[in-house]
Amino acid sequence: MSDPFSINGGSAVAMVGKDCIAIASDLRLGNQSLGVSNNFEKIFGFGDKCFLGLTGLATDVLTLKETFRFKTNLYKLREERSIEPETLANLVSSTLYERRFGPYFVSPIVAGLGHKDNKPFICGFDSIGCIDFAKDFIVSGTASDQLYGMCESLYEPDLEPEQLFETISQALLNAVDRDALSGWGAVVYIVTKDKVVKRVLKTRQD
Amino acid sequence: MAGLNFENYQRNSYLSTKGFATPRATSTGTTIVGCKFPGGVVIAADTRATSGPIVADKNCEKLHRLAPKIWCAGAGTAADTEMVTQLIASNLELHALSQNREPRVITALTMLKQHLFKYQGHLGAYLICAGVDPTGAHLLSVQAHGSTDIGKYQSLGSGSLAAMAVLETNFREDLTKEEAIKLCADAIEAGIWNDLGSGSNVDVCVMEVGKDAELYRNYLTPNVRSQKARSYKFAPGTTAILRESVRDILDVEETVVSFDQMEVDTEA
Amino acid sequence: MNTISQRFTHANTNDVANEINTVHDSLSHKQTLELAPSISVPPISQPTDFLRAHTDDASNPDCKIKIAHGTTTLAFRFQGGIIVAVDSRATAGNWIASQTVNKVIRINPFLLGTMAGGAADCQYWETWLGTQCRLHELREKERISVAAASKILSNLVYEYKGMGLSMGTMVCGHTKKEGPAIYYVDSDGTRLKGDLFCVGSGQTFAYGVLDSEYKWDLTVEEALYLGKRSILAATHRDAYSGGSINLYHINEQGWTYHGNHNVGDVFWDIRDQEQSFVNVDG
Repeated sequence: MSDPFSINGGSAVAMVGKDCIAIASDLRLGNQSLGVSNNFEKIFGFGDKCFLGLTGLATDVLTLKETFRFKTNLYKLREERSIEPETLANLVSSTLYERRFGPYFVSPIVAGLGHKDNKPFICGFDSIGCIDFAKDFIVSGTASDQLYGMCESLYEPDLEPEQLFETISQALLNAVDRDALSGWGAVVYIVTKDKVVKRVLKTRQD
Repeated sequence: MAGLNFENYQRNSYLSTKGFATPRATSTGTTIVGCKFPGGVVIAADTRATSGPIVADKNCEKLHRLAPKIWCAGAGTAADTEMVTQLIASNLELHALSQNREPRVITALTMLKQHLFKYQGHLGAYLICAGVDPTGAHLLSVQAHGSTDIGKYQSLGSGSLAAMAVLETNFREDLTKEEAIKLCADAIEAGIWNDLGSGSNVDVCVMEVGKDAELYRNYLTPNVRSQKARSYKFAPGTTAILRESVRDILDVEETVVSFDQMEVDTEA
Repeated sequence: MNTISQRFTHANTNDVANEINTVHDSLSHKQTLELAPSISVPPISQPTDFLRAHTDDASNPDCKIKIAHGTTTLAFRFQGGIIVAVDSRATAGNWIASQTVNKVIRINPFLLGTMAGGAADCQYWETWLGTQCRLHELREKERISVAAASKILSNLVYEYKGMGLSMGTMVCGHTKKEGPAIYYVDSDGTRLKGDLFCVGSGQTFAYGVLDSEYKWDLTVEEALYLGKRSILAATHRDAYSGGSINLYHINEQGWTYHGNHNVGDVFWDIRDQEQSFVNVDG
């Protein structure tokens, strides 16, 4: 009860592959032990090849999703182009740090490809906006400890998109199966330079 | 709107009175050191970031640029060291531009301490600030509450005791540049091995009078992960899929239509 | 000087030592139930508060001892005897410690006990109950009644009332004189005879299915399916229930085991077959 990060539950993970990235989350939204929704996606797109994953307190997840939709739309209007993943990362960081002494209870992750050069980019944040730049994978949510374990063992560099899909899916699935507050379905996005594939996974339902 | 927003502060302190835990910020955990030598100064840091018992980032950057020749190593709350450093770097640049002078290390330190004092220690930034300016090479440090310190060699962070042991043993006034770099790297390594909050690699930055600052990112990498004995690739089709949707990304070509080609209705 | 020497020479004046002694004394004088082994309790005045402070992860997520709990168990009487169905998940906080826990304790070929609450408490005391039942058999040359067995357990937990035992159990069995019987026993000391019980964090979900489909005249096959279906509903909605379903049927021949059913597979089979769980995308 007393930890706002684990009232609603949920987990997300992102990985870098060869000229591609993948980002995945579970679909559960709960009220403590009670499962409420099995269709609560925690990954949001901003532009074609740029994604934000938000886990933590669901009310803050939704608030921030809208905040970033608003901010990235204004950005697009001003700049006449979609936001780059690096830019989104800094936007997320400063938006969170603005609330340094009254943070949102979220742990965001960003994943995407550069719009011109298609360079893979992923990063994660703590709830007050400290950026964790990583070259391999980023995890967040109530199953983050389990995800660290899965990713450290399963991940290898330069995986092709299809192979990356299997690796990120298995990492997520096996991690959430050891977390009471995550699961109830999963969704994976695989982003390459010319297409975004979204797959909904078949998972345990307990 | 610039500055901090305290809206959620009320909500969150209400929540904490109701027994809700407060969020856990990423901490640098950290060993940072600095040492002077005739004609310059060296600072160094490890590259581990922690969140409780978890290593959040195995190769983070704790050496921040305040000005081209003034660098700063940060320990404490990771977000605070990063943000406070970026803010002061920005203000220092504006200051240098308006005064048309190279910024001084003492200016950077004063700006940092005044900022940190204002926040009464709530910004958890512990910094070793070093650089060269027209008045020579300097090595200074500032703590979260705003107090500052000057010294020929300094260490900060959870690994500061291990690092200071090395500095106290091996520091000399007449260190060469190479010896100073080695001393700093050794001190950081002492932190990496002996402090659980510090780990991974050593970053070093050297600032010499009359020269550009040099950053040696991952100067030492004593913790390279060994090649995995076997691969854990899954056979395609391992994961059961319910639905798939594909969105193709197309290049949009925009053509600009010049004014005289446009039809303008002048009748009305 | 005087006070210092006093502290070391007269242990009785020490408040802490006094409290420890009184608590120990008060426990050792209780000889009302000789069958029960004695268990050490923490040497403080309120063991419950002590235990709660250190083990209740709901009120204090940073507590150092996280006791495995969270469960759905059910048992009901019907025309063909008794059905017992349980899940198999053990959690410590949000961490799923195991998906393969055996929550039915086979006390003897005619008696089953279910586990909910503290896993160690249930496991230890129900095994102990098994030995008591066997001793009864040897003394009386007759199998123990379900009523008597459940009463041994409820008397035992009542001895420890307020000291932090946590268990919610159903003692189920069949004897000549009683026929099929179910007793609900919990660590508060409650002991209830009844036809239908669900116990654990997922009990409400199991009751939902069970109450709507339950009839006395169910065939054995229908009853087994209803037991399985009720636990399945609970594993789906309750975060702290899951893993697999263990099924038992009890009649005059004693209990028979009806297998372990993995929720991962059973869920989709039942969903397809019943066209139920329409909220789940699949």
